[in-house]
Amino acid sequence: MIISLIVVWVGTFWCFSKVLSTPQEEKVPPGFGP
Amino acid sequence: MAEHKEEWGSKLGVILAVAGSAVGLGNFLRFPGQAAANGGGAFLIPYFCALFLLGLPIGWAEWTMGRYGGKKGLHSAPMIMGAIGKGGLARYFGVIGVLIPLGVSTYYMFIETWTLGYFLKYVTGGIGVDPAAPIAAQTAAAQAFYNAFTGTGSDGSLFTGDTLFTVFTWAAVFAINIFFIFRGLSKGIEKFVSFAMPVMAVCALIVLIRVLTLGTPDPAQPDQSVANGLGYMWNPNYSKLLDFKTWLAAAGQIFFSLSVGFGVIINYASYMKRKDDIALSGLTASATNELFEVGFGGMITLTAAFVFLGLSGTTAAVAGGSFSLGFATLPVVFAHMGAFGNFVGALWFLMLFLAAITSSLSMYQPAVAHIKESLNFSHVKSTTIIATIGTAGAFLTLWFTAGGSFWNTVDFWVGTYLIFVLAMVQIIYFAWVFGIDRGWKELHNGASIRIPPIFKIVMKYIAPAYLIIVFVGFTVQNFKASLAASWANTGARAGMLMIGAILAYLLVVTWMGQKRLRAAGFDIDDKLPSD
Repeated sequence: MIISLIVVWVGTFWCFSKVLSTPQEEKVPPGFGP
Repeated sequence: MAEHKEEWGSKLGVILAVAGSAVGLGNFLRFPGQAAANGGGAFLIPYFCALFLLGLPIGWAEWTMGRYGGKKGLHSAPMIMGAIGKGGLARYFGVIGVLIPLGVSTYYMFIETWTLGYFLKYVTGGIGVDPAAPIAAQTAAAQAFYNAFTGTGSDGSLFTGDTLFTVFTWAAVFAINIFFIFRGLSKGIEKFVSFAMPVMAVCALIVLIRVLTLGTPDPAQPDQSVANGLGYMWNPNYSKLLDFKTWLAAAGQIFFSLSVGFGVIINYASYMKRKDDIALSGLTASATNELFEVGFGGMITLTAAFVFLGLSGTTAAVAGGSFSLGFATLPVVFAHMGAFGNFVGALWFLMLFLAAITSSLSMYQPAVAHIKESLNFSHVKSTTIIATIGTAGAFLTLWFTAGGSFWNTVDFWVGTYLIFVLAMVQIIYFAWVFGIDRGWKELHNGASIRIPPIFKIVMKYIAPAYLIIVFVGFTVQNFKASLAASWANTGARAGMLMIGAILAYLLVVTWMGQKRLRAAGFDIDDKLPSD
């Protein structure tokens, strides 16, 4: 039970923290860029 | 008039939408019973094996196929599968990916109605279980309310007299669903799940804390403690691992819990941008589902039942099935929680309602997308047509309630059997026709994490083999009996006819759609080089 709970709680938190820390693709405003 | 292109507003939006689709009543009601009956804590071994060898790989394949189809401007399972499988038969297999969600939605909203109805009852005083009465009388009262609310007594009973409450609640549920579908992907579904999923988590946490702090409520029954309640589900019985049925049950549970092979992920992923990450997104959505299943469902339901009903009461509740456990047994449990029992009950059914509606929203979207792209209808027109079909199906569900044979029939064929078929077809087309190397490259396009290469072998060989074995085992166990039951009475026959009617509609629309899309220049047979 303890192992399963640790896996699901820690796993989920790790996933969400990775999602939130990965920058979303920046939209280049019009008039900028190559 | 050109409509704006539908897409997710943020990467978190699609993750919460897929997770919301996956998290449902099964996480809280089906999982605990399956685990308790198949080895308790030991069940988690085949369960996690199935997660890594079946659930995650097939899920990733679906995300990949969906986003690939979206790159070509395709959003429905038939057209996406047609592109993946280079046309022909694959496209018509893909029809199953709309039949499943649309078919299931007809009765799923009925079950969703129960959750909202019970919630409304609990905020206005409960369903009439007297905690001072003998346990048998309390159980009988809860069961009687459930039977009346769901109309199991006879067909048409929900449309007479006192039980119109169910019909009106269904109308509210239907209206809420259609409201969000009309608003579209980002303003509708995404906005709603961004609110609903955190609220669901908070409700679950409060109920969990309440249950874990129950202690031993009845001093005369010292064995009925929280520790023993947790032990009921979690004490491992390793001998069960030698039983093939345990592995079958674990695979089935993971499968249905993650909503793979349901036609939803493939549709939702098609609205992602071409370089949006799907590796981490798929993993996160699955992890969220597991948190609700193992972290909440596995800790709340049977523990609460055990503390108040003891070993024999809990065993009987599990034997009665998921719905009896959730809607007849747990009300007895809440009645014993004293002054806060109704509050906890309200939170519990609100949580189940949110779990249900985030799932039902995901069932309409694939059908709307299908007719929209096939016939070039506007979003409003497409939603209206699907809402009409949904209403017709729901009317049949609300009418043919005797013994639950209508929706049990639809649930078996569309909500169970065809899911195995679709998942098998999807992973085989993905790994063997589209090609595992091409699929692996596509999966990692824009990925935030690298999936261990062992999963290439899992996707190509192990998942298809595992699935075929599970499918054959399931067919051998259930097919013959279910076929006989499917024509046994009026309700069952109505279910089969409804499935046939929806299938006919989908085949016609798909046939018209592939002609229109090909003529309009869409690469529906994947003839053009991909980037």
